[in-house]
Amino acid sequence: MTLKATKGQRVLRFMANNTVPILFLIICAFGIPLSGYSANYLISEIIVRLVRNSFLIVSLLIPILAGMGLNFGMTLGAMAGQVGLIFISDWGIVGIPGMVLAMVISTPISMLLGWWCGKILNMAKGREMVTSYIIGFFMNGIYQLVVLYGMGPVIPIRNKALVLPRGYGIRNTVNLIGIRKALDNLIAVRIGTVPIPVATFVLIALLCLFVLWFKKTKLGQDMRAVGQDMEVARAAGIPVEHTRIVSIIISTVFAGYGMIIYLQNIGTLNTYNSHMQIGMFSVAALLVGGATVAKANIRNVFLGVILFHLMFIVSPMAGKNLIGQAQLGEYFRVFVSYGVITISLVLYEMRKKREQALAGLTLAAAQEVEA
Amino acid sequence: MNGAAALALGRRFVRSFGLPRIIIALFLLSLFILAPIAGVNVGTSLSDTLNRFGMNAIMVLAMVPMIHSGCGLNFGLPLGIIAGLLGATISLQVNIPGPTSFYLAILFCTPFALILGWGYGELLNRVKGGEMMIATYVGFSSVAFMCIMWLLLPFSNPTMVWGFSGTGLRTTISVEGYYLHALNNLLAIRLTPHLVIPTGMLLFFAFFAFIIWAFLHTKTGTAMTAVGSNPIFARASGINVDRIRTLSVVMSTWLGAVGILVYQQSFGFIQLYMGPFYMALPAVSAILIGGASVNKASILNVIVGTFLFQGIVTMTPSVMNSMIHTDMSEVIRIVVSNGMILYALTRKTEAVR
Amino acid sequence: MKGKTLLIRLAVIAVILILSAILFFVGKSHTVLVDNKAVTVDGKEIAALKLVEVAVNKQASWELTPRDRDKFDVTGQKHTVTVAYTDEWWEEHTIVRTFTVPLMQDMVMILVPALVANPESDQSVWLENYEIPSYAVTMAESDEVVVTDDMAGLITDL
Repeated sequence: MTLKATKGQRVLRFMANNTVPILFLIICAFGIPLSGYSANYLISEIIVRLVRNSFLIVSLLIPILAGMGLNFGMTLGAMAGQVGLIFISDWGIVGIPGMVLAMVISTPISMLLGWWCGKILNMAKGREMVTSYIIGFFMNGIYQLVVLYGMGPVIPIRNKALVLPRGYGIRNTVNLIGIRKALDNLIAVRIGTVPIPVATFVLIALLCLFVLWFKKTKLGQDMRAVGQDMEVARAAGIPVEHTRIVSIIISTVFAGYGMIIYLQNIGTLNTYNSHMQIGMFSVAALLVGGATVAKANIRNVFLGVILFHLMFIVSPMAGKNLIGQAQLGEYFRVFVSYGVITISLVLYEMRKKREQALAGLTLAAAQEVEA
Repeated sequence: MNGAAALALGRRFVRSFGLPRIIIALFLLSLFILAPIAGVNVGTSLSDTLNRFGMNAIMVLAMVPMIHSGCGLNFGLPLGIIAGLLGATISLQVNIPGPTSFYLAILFCTPFALILGWGYGELLNRVKGGEMMIATYVGFSSVAFMCIMWLLLPFSNPTMVWGFSGTGLRTTISVEGYYLHALNNLLAIRLTPHLVIPTGMLLFFAFFAFIIWAFLHTKTGTAMTAVGSNPIFARASGINVDRIRTLSVVMSTWLGAVGILVYQQSFGFIQLYMGPFYMALPAVSAILIGGASVNKASILNVIVGTFLFQGIVTMTPSVMNSMIHTDMSEVIRIVVSNGMILYALTRKTEAVR
Repeated sequence: MKGKTLLIRLAVIAVILILSAILFFVGKSHTVLVDNKAVTVDGKEIAALKLVEVAVNKQASWELTPRDRDKFDVTGQKHTVTVAYTDEWWEEHTIVRTFTVPLMQDMVMILVPALVANPESDQSVWLENYEIPSYAVTMAESDEVVVTDDMAGLITDL
């Protein structure tokens, strides 16, 4: 009857489907003038954030495709990347070779951790997200065991500057001077006063192309099928468990690479907390970009990084100018990050429930017609 | 023959009790055995453990109603804690010294716990099946929201606000002069110079545990269990599922609020801002260590679990430190508590939701 | 079929291992110190040069007066050193030599007077391994508190 929605309806639907990005646009629209930052500064900051975070966030896409929700287990990959960076800092391998070597080292660790994480998630079907979230915490304990107690006595570390004065364990911060901006400065172009790290963007573009290509492969199609309905996929002869594990492995490996790119931009590694925050912020940014637990694409990644980090940059200054306390803005952005995740999760669950109810009603109606 | 029977019995015991729990219990036992060898005073350790048990038990008890009604593990405990913090700060603002302030705090936190718990319960009713993840983030975002509020709310008691600016609450507020050790010192029995039994605090917990136990045996209580174990059957037998679930969430939230007050009176400080952030994880893992699962929990699980968990938390640092001169207790705590949660999450549960 | 897959996988792993070895050799950073002070070679004392210009690879050169020491940061093992100086008859000389740094050696020192005196000699005459004196490493001996706070990152900048 109403195949053609009216203009008003379409606008409403668009608003409903993009609640979170619109909310963020409004916050930013208020925050930017309040903060008093210049456009030039904001643009260069946003470019820095895009360089740092895009790769990490893209790594979240594949588990979503496989119906496993937001992979909070990406912290595992981040840990693997950090272990790689600790080793190359110890051996004194610098520049692009150092970065690549760190990636090579991180890969088997990521694969192992990803495989293990996938196995566990297969045992906790239906609550993958909360499980992967706890896996992150659990592995953080193991990571501390290895890095804080194992490095030195068990895993040899040559460089005394990395080790705590007590003789074992890595220091709180590791200076990554050797690979600092190695990738960013490989091909650096300036537009006006804004530096553009072309090489990093090329790498991110390649990853995006890979993801797009991957979705079209047999494995990618299998993942989509598994994500839509596990039982149907199993009936169609797709090895469901295996496919799910592979999706987590890919995500973990990319998260490791993403962490290395992130840290080469920053230049210092906070050994014991860099990885813990990264999962939360990546997930929040992806959701801000309009992704849901079940559906995300590359557009969401970039929109998300831009909106989320715009809010992140302006809010302390805006808080200071508005109330006189920068701290207020800092708490505000933490609140918004968590709030966004909460709202997205709630909206997703409610939509899922409504669809289920609708499907049930349709089924009942069909049966009634048959009877 | 006898050996085989014993083996079978042992196997059944392992299965019913769960391997991880046995490992944890044996670990704690070995710590207590090693303690005198390592030169750690057993009396002090035992009284520390009891003390921590009393501090944390009510927060662990707060898990029970929600598990019973099928809402899963209450990762949103920080919401209850926030209600408790509001009660505590208002009680200090009213400025009545002595243990009275403790009961006042419980009184003041109640309306907040009821309102927040009701809203939280209504929210969880709309997201059935995804409660745990959403609970986690409800907890986190409410903590972050309250960080803003602690800065802005018009409290004025000089013991609470920052001295130099006169506004905004401090990160930690001492409850000395108010309800410090209000329960700890109540009826405390000093057996030896090192071993003190905080009877008042234990009795306080016992009182709440009994109320919950009794409640679970009332008509509403059994309805709650029915909702948790089979919501469709419960609905069919005329139970208002959503109302029962909301009730359980309100109860959990209120217990969380009372729990943090008990914690504070022993600890001595109110921790605001990011303080409540990760408070849920120890409570969740404690009840799981005690033998609960994602949809089954009893008062006994609370008691056993809190004792084991707090025992390990108290004993590992002291024993480890004097044995090998490294403090690995933090790592052990992280691995044990999160490992336990992982174990519970990966168990096949009867009610597949 | 199965054997073939295995073979391919092994080959890939081998390639990656070789690649990482190459990365190790190429990316290993070394510090080359250049030092202009009197040295003794085979029992003969060689005086420092009045003024000498030293460069490693294509990096900007340093001018060294007697007892000066400076450093170049390089990656990889094979490098060239270019030494330009004026002798007592006001004639300019330029010496170009290549040298190899031992793989795991973090620092080496080029003894410029020794190189100028024996431009044709083996690198062992004018290149020596250099270890950082222990007082420079053990300077910050104060104990460091390890912060494993999960929440520290929430408030600080990204």
